[in-house]
Amino acid sequence: MPFFAGDIFVSEVHRKPVLDRAGEEIGKLTDITVGQGDPFPSVTALVVKSGKLTYLIPWDQINLFNKRVISVNLLRDQLSPAVIEPAEVLICRDILDKQIVDINGAKLVRVNDLKLGDVNGRVSLIAADIGLRGILRRLGVEARGERLLSVLRYRLQNVLIGWHYLQPVEPKLNKLTLTVSRQKAAQLHPADLAEIISEVSQKERSAIFGSLDVETAAEALHELEPSVQADIIDDMSKEKASDILEQMPPDEAADVLGDLPEAKAQELINLMEKDEAEDVQELLEHEEDTAGGLMTTEYLAFPPDMTVEDAIRELRLEAPDVETVYYLYITDDQERLLGVLSLKSLIMARPETLLQDIMRSPMKTLSLDAEQMDVAEFISKYNLLAAPVVDENMVMRGIVTVDDVVDFLLPPASRKKRRKI
Amino acid sequence: MVIERLKQFFVKRRILAVLAVIGPGVIAGNAGNDAGGIATYSIVGAREGYGLLWALLLITFALAVIQEMSARMGVVTGKGFGDLVREQFGVRVTLAIMTLFVFANLTVTIAEFAGIAASMELFGIHKYVSVPVSAFVVWFVVVKGNFKQVERFMIVISLVYFTYVVSGFMANPPWKEVARQISFPQVRMDRDYFLLFITMVGTTVTPYMQFYLQSAVVDKGVRVEEYSYARYDAYVGAFMTVFIAFFIVLCTGTILHPAGVIIDSAEDAAKALEPLAGPFSAHLFALGLLNASFLAAFVLPLATAYGLSEAFGWESGINKTFSEAPQFLGFYTAFIVIGAGIIMIPDIPLIKIMFFSQTINGILLPIVLVIMLRLVNDRSLMGDYVNSRRMNIITWAMVLVLITLTVLLLVTSFLS
Repeated sequence: MPFFAGDIFVSEVHRKPVLDRAGEEIGKLTDITVGQGDPFPSVTALVVKSGKLTYLIPWDQINLFNKRVISVNLLRDQLSPAVIEPAEVLICRDILDKQIVDINGAKLVRVNDLKLGDVNGRVSLIAADIGLRGILRRLGVEARGERLLSVLRYRLQNVLIGWHYLQPVEPKLNKLTLTVSRQKAAQLHPADLAEIISEVSQKERSAIFGSLDVETAAEALHELEPSVQADIIDDMSKEKASDILEQMPPDEAADVLGDLPEAKAQELINLMEKDEAEDVQELLEHEEDTAGGLMTTEYLAFPPDMTVEDAIRELRLEAPDVETVYYLYITDDQERLLGVLSLKSLIMARPETLLQDIMRSPMKTLSLDAEQMDVAEFISKYNLLAAPVVDENMVMRGIVTVDDVVDFLLPPASRKKRRKI
Repeated sequence: MVIERLKQFFVKRRILAVLAVIGPGVIAGNAGNDAGGIATYSIVGAREGYGLLWALLLITFALAVIQEMSARMGVVTGKGFGDLVREQFGVRVTLAIMTLFVFANLTVTIAEFAGIAASMELFGIHKYVSVPVSAFVVWFVVVKGNFKQVERFMIVISLVYFTYVVSGFMANPPWKEVARQISFPQVRMDRDYFLLFITMVGTTVTPYMQFYLQSAVVDKGVRVEEYSYARYDAYVGAFMTVFIAFFIVLCTGTILHPAGVIIDSAEDAAKALEPLAGPFSAHLFALGLLNASFLAAFVLPLATAYGLSEAFGWESGINKTFSEAPQFLGFYTAFIVIGAGIIMIPDIPLIKIMFFSQTINGILLPIVLVIMLRLVNDRSLMGDYVNSRRMNIITWAMVLVLITLTVLLLVTSFLS
């Protein structure tokens, strides 16, 4: 199975060079053959042309297939020119630009582009693009067109007809018949042809997250834009969503919940386990761009009269649950911050030493309402990996780690770009 | 009894079958004699007398060959030119051609309504009356009528062109001299003569005629078995077009040329005829111009609406209602509204618009002809109906000549 990333429009790969295993160009991709497969015809081979020679490369010999690279597991010398059988269905020749008619034969529109996607592990023809976006993509000005139209406040959408609403492909296709009538298509009209023509990606990404296990989902979610995170959480079942939120660091979870409608966020918090729920609840109460909003409530805190030996044993137990282990905070029985201890000084100390004898005190702290830029400067100035946040009574409330503020420390261009899907 | 005998005679000669297929070719051809065409022929006669009549033989031949290929493609594939371009050449080429096509046709449509306005003014009717009324009629007939009615209506209009034949005979030309000039043309090598020749060719062979003819053949539903009749239709259309043109040149060549009258438009010609040949002649000439503009005011918006619908796969056809074919009838309506609307604006720079339309058509024609020859020779589309080798030699040679002429026309019109 070749590596196939996401969905691809045929116009994005048409005329792209196809490379062999050694990186030599075999020729240009001119067409794609499809076979049976109900309702989605699956890709069987690539048609590659080099000068007057035509090669037919079976799909299982393809190594990479995406917008940038198409490569083959074979060497160029191993290929021999092929003749295309009359019964083959070539999607560019036989389907692209063809007329789509409704079940009564009334003409509707033409196929502007074709979308390939993964159907049960096989790359298949999943939809016909009939929108303006498809035409712009064919002309190679999709991005420019999108920008231009966004100035006019028009959002350029993909208008797709899922292949399950179109007839099965067959050789010598003259036109494509929709399996519903024009009237019915017109009734399903809200965006364009409603159900038939849908934006597949929104559904797909929720489906992808639904299929991941909770831990992986929590990690993956962490990488996305907060607004996208909120969209996905919003689409999921509540139980699954609350499980994922529990797995996330409380500060991240709070960010996601902060982007959701309040009622929905509260509902999810109620479904979470009590400890995590309290942490998140507390974080939600702080402004997002203050130390209180940035901090996490998971940190290592030990009493002053504990021995180094016990502390190390305790550290082993608690470490998996906390974001950073480099600082140990020493608090009294009212959780008031007394001092701090680095991991280095802990392991270098003799086992029977008490923590209060090696801790550093007094120490620098942040208040809950410190501005994020000030937090960043504070961490940068003192070369910290994390800084403690305390309230007016010196009660420890959480820590802000360097990764939460590193974005503000770097020049804009090198800031981490969060991915959108 | 007599009727019975006549009917048998017609059936035996298959004349009825031929008549049933006749239409698209005749209409497309006559639409080539539009306001701009009448103007050009009037000017040719007035300036050169009979000196360019020989060129009409050449034009008949070129038009017949091209129209026949259009009809053949429509009959064999059942698809319009826009359909075939989109399916065989993809989005880029289609969009480029359709952009040129829409702009060229829009400007020509404006010119047709200008022709209506000018000719009606010769009858004393103001353009604020004549243009809206005629625009409404053009719109109403196609939107409310079915294909058969619309086609018959346009064939009747095509017959009104014979007023020019009457004008030609009334001028009482010296037939011997006419025959001599056609048989032994004295081709001059100066710029004016050459420019007139190219303009004459350019105004008679235009892309919208080919688009219209092929789409109309498809809309009419002419079957492959009827191809031989469709061929007659194309030939008859080409012949009739040039036949009419011949009499226009004859008329102005006999009356205006010896008098040394300088004219710049068809309405000038009608006005100039009045003192020299009497009011009847002048009125006939004006009526001809009105009729020509009126027919083309149908054909140009129709050709555009067909072409666009085919290129983008929208439902099309004169039989369709607005709800069945919204884009087709929408574009048809828009073209009439814009075309007629611009004429209502006072002091519109018509000369510039005409120049613009001539330029775009000049760019478009070579592209269309080359694509047409590629399509008509594609065996997967045309099967056994591809061009024969002899036909290809003739057509390629002719297309190269036409391309050369249009390029020269573009170059000279930009230089002057």
